[in-house]
Amino acid sequence: MDNAKTMIEVRDCWKSFPGKKAGEQVHVLERVNLDVHAGEFVCVVGPSGCGKSTLLNIIGGFIKETRGTAKVAGSPVNGPDPRRIFVFQENGVFPWLTVEENIGFGLMSKSAAHREERVAHYIGMVGLTGFEKSYPRELSGGMRQRVEIARALAADAEVLYMDEPFGALDFLTRLKMRADLIRIWQAEKKTIVFVTHDIEEAVQLADRVVVMSKRPATVAEEVKIDLPRPRDLDSPGYLGARDRIFAIMGMDVHGGGAGDPR
Amino acid sequence: MPTKDCRGEKCPRESKPNVLKNPVNRFAPILLPAATAAIFLLIWHLLVRLSGSDLFPTPLDVARGIQELVEKGLLLKYIVASLFRVSWGFMLAVLVGVPLGLILGWFRPAFQALNPMIQILRPISPIAWIPVAILWFGIADSAPVFLIFLASVFPITVSSMAAVQNMQLVYLRAAQNFGVTGMQLFRRVIFPAALPQIITGIRIALGIAWLVVVAAEMIAVNSGLGYLIIDARNAGKRYDLVVAGMVMIGLIGLVLDLLIRRLERFDEVKWGYGQR
Amino acid sequence: MKLISTTFLLGALWLVLISVTHGHLNLKWFAPKVAGTTAAGDKFRIGFLPVTCHLTCPVTDFINQQVEGQSMFEPVRFSGWPELKEAFLSGYTPATFILAPMAMALREQGVPIKVVYLGHRDGSAVMVHKDSQIYRMEDLRGKRIAVPNRYSNQRLLVFRALKQANMTVQDIELVEMPPPDMPAALYSKAVDAISSGEPFMAQTELDGYGRVLWLTKDVWPNFISCVLAVHEDFIKNDRETVQRLVDGIASSGKWLDTTMENRMDAAKFVSKNYYNQHPRLLEFVLSKPPDRVKYTNLALRKPDFEEIEALALQAGVIQKDVIFEDYTDASFVPDDSAVKAHAYQGLQGGEVPPRK
Ligand SMILES: Nc1ncnc2c1ncn2[C@@H]1O[C@H](COP(=O)(O)OP(=O)(O)OP(=O)(O)O)[C@@H](O)[C@H]1O
Ligand SMILES: [Mg+2]
Repeated sequence: MDNAKTMIEVRDCWKSFPGKKAGEQVHVLERVNLDVHAGEFVCVVGPSGCGKSTLLNIIGGFIKETRGTAKVAGSPVNGPDPRRIFVFQENGVFPWLTVEENIGFGLMSKSAAHREERVAHYIGMVGLTGFEKSYPRELSGGMRQRVEIARALAADAEVLYMDEPFGALDFLTRLKMRADLIRIWQAEKKTIVFVTHDIEEAVQLADRVVVMSKRPATVAEEVKIDLPRPRDLDSPGYLGARDRIFAIMGMDVHGGGAGDPR
Repeated sequence: MPTKDCRGEKCPRESKPNVLKNPVNRFAPILLPAATAAIFLLIWHLLVRLSGSDLFPTPLDVARGIQELVEKGLLLKYIVASLFRVSWGFMLAVLVGVPLGLILGWFRPAFQALNPMIQILRPISPIAWIPVAILWFGIADSAPVFLIFLASVFPITVSSMAAVQNMQLVYLRAAQNFGVTGMQLFRRVIFPAALPQIITGIRIALGIAWLVVVAAEMIAVNSGLGYLIIDARNAGKRYDLVVAGMVMIGLIGLVLDLLIRRLERFDEVKWGYGQR
Repeated sequence: MKLISTTFLLGALWLVLISVTHGHLNLKWFAPKVAGTTAAGDKFRIGFLPVTCHLTCPVTDFINQQVEGQSMFEPVRFSGWPELKEAFLSGYTPATFILAPMAMALREQGVPIKVVYLGHRDGSAVMVHKDSQIYRMEDLRGKRIAVPNRYSNQRLLVFRALKQANMTVQDIELVEMPPPDMPAALYSKAVDAISSGEPFMAQTELDGYGRVLWLTKDVWPNFISCVLAVHEDFIKNDRETVQRLVDGIASSGKWLDTTMENRMDAAKFVSKNYYNQHPRLLEFVLSKPPDRVKYTNLALRKPDFEEIEALALQAGVIQKDVIFEDYTDASFVPDDSAVKAHAYQGLQGGEVPPRK
């Protein structure tokens, strides 16, 4: 894995937004460096509001960094790209399309038969069989989230950017979705950058967990999780990695303490 | 948004609360407005009687006036004439206003170039345009069609424009992420995302178009409900026909609104109107 | 999308349906063409208002139809002076009945308009509410008087009466109001006096709340309010038709002033087919008294117009002296004594036939 080629390369990245008052700047990212290898599963954790989504949006090409560089597959990021699909934190499912139309959205250039087959497959995977013709407003929040995940997976991109994709799901669905995601990742050799505020989730999924500091955020520490999958949640390796991240966050988040930074 | 998980079966499309199910409720949508109308007519009748005016008609006079119009075959003619002008003026306004609004909402330079002009033209009453309409179009059907077009094109343009500008960023990002650009982006994302608000604008504009029919028919066309009112004023003491014209305009306005509201029921736009 | 396709389909269907129905009911698209008649579009149009000052317009149209089977023109009824004027300016109506001072003012402003004949003489009044204490011009001091338009002769009439009573326009308040709105305004006492062409004055009398302060014939004999005017191009292109028009109007005037039966018939057919008023209104105006309004002696006479010019100048309606020869073309005016009434026997007690 160490010799694998670098997929994402963020160098000395800064980002500030115009503040409320004229001339004032809110500094969100400072001196962020990040490398993700092709085929790697990286989780990003950090306190709420620190800039996780901002970083992901820079890599995804939706916003421009103030300073520094962000490269994907060797070339600077220059807008969004269908080869790298984003799962948005705020639900990006189109409310005017049915479930199956949403999932097939990224497959318009493919043949109808191919499209139907893939749509059916991913509907089954996210457990929405029977809801093909439903509109998003007729679904629960968690079901809508699953539609968006299915839409991203169906597009068959080489990289997935996922911004708290399982946040709205119930516990059991979340467990199932994690297992499914790992399965797809292993089978299809995707590169995944996965933002979450759930440290347990990060340790269960990732090859490497990137812990960010509070705002203005930088990478506080990277924790490699060299554990075999499926992961044993009682193994000392797992518990050790988890406690280590808790400790890093606990030191960095004033008043937040260990645990869920929210 | 309800977050109940409807397993197995499809969620019911209508999520009306069925808690208040008592027999009175079922007829309320008909009984309540009917009662209001009855009380209104009664007060109207009494006020005319009490004032001792023999110029202002009672509801009964108006009903007889309407009957007279029906017997002469005029009512249908006039309704058709007014609907004809409103339909064309309004349709042209939709065909011009929606694309124009979408373009202005999306292309910043177009907005900067045209928006001030639109905001200047928008508040000008259609009545002020009457001389222009006559000078350009004479007094054939085209002049009132032009006035109705003018009155309704601006609300449609402005609401379509605002709909695009207020569109949720995440839809745009998702679409761009899937490589959708250009006309495809317009057709597959911007337009459907803006549609609920566009329809609201269209609904308001239809109300305005119908409102303007009296003014538009003040030009010497010789048919239409607006003309009926002007004509009745010429006819000496026929204020019953004036009010009859008003009543017909009101009733047809109600029907038009009920019809255009059906647009909001389509699945593609229902998401834009909250839960009802 | 289902919504878009459904809406477009239904919308298109509706447009076709409503257009065809409108064409059938209001534009007579599908009516069989009667041999010998021409489509309305081929005839020239004349603008008029439903007032007695313009009565010869519908009378000529009606009698033409009855006697010759078809009318030479298409009468177009307006409700107010501005629309009537604008339709003339746009060329929609190449001929029109119009207020004499308005014609002068338009000429002054460079509009190629020519007065070719008079429309009537007399036929206006000043009305007050019957409960009011106004009996003489002097009583109107500080009161509000409605006139149809700043270019109306009724306004000049008030000016003239003020002068005779040694008053000025500062002593009263003048407001402009479309004639059809005047009766209701007097009834509700929104104004103290109203003045316009008939039958709107007579209407207040008939309905029992108006009283005549004076009739024009009493203060300004042979008063002219409206004239027949045409566009210069019309004269240039088709002198013959203008001549036929003037002759037709003249014969109608003569016919109207020949017998009282004719006038009562005219009241019936004009009320029913053209003005859409109750016939008793026109019957009243045309008979009580019979010289309330007159339709003979309609030649253009320079002294009449000079008097109007002088008043119009004082009233600020026109800016400088206008030239009688410039805004009139008297070449079509028939000799008053040579004018013959239409050979039309009247309704003979029968029903009014509908307009074709
Ligand atoms: N467009 C913007 N304009 C101004 N400030 C912004 C903008 N986007 C984000 N911010 C600010 O940047 C900071 C980081 O936001 P971001 O959404 O990246 O946080 P986050 O780490 O994803 O938080 P969460 O875990 O709650 O999703 C926040 O303080 C936010 O207020
Ligand atoms: Mg976030």
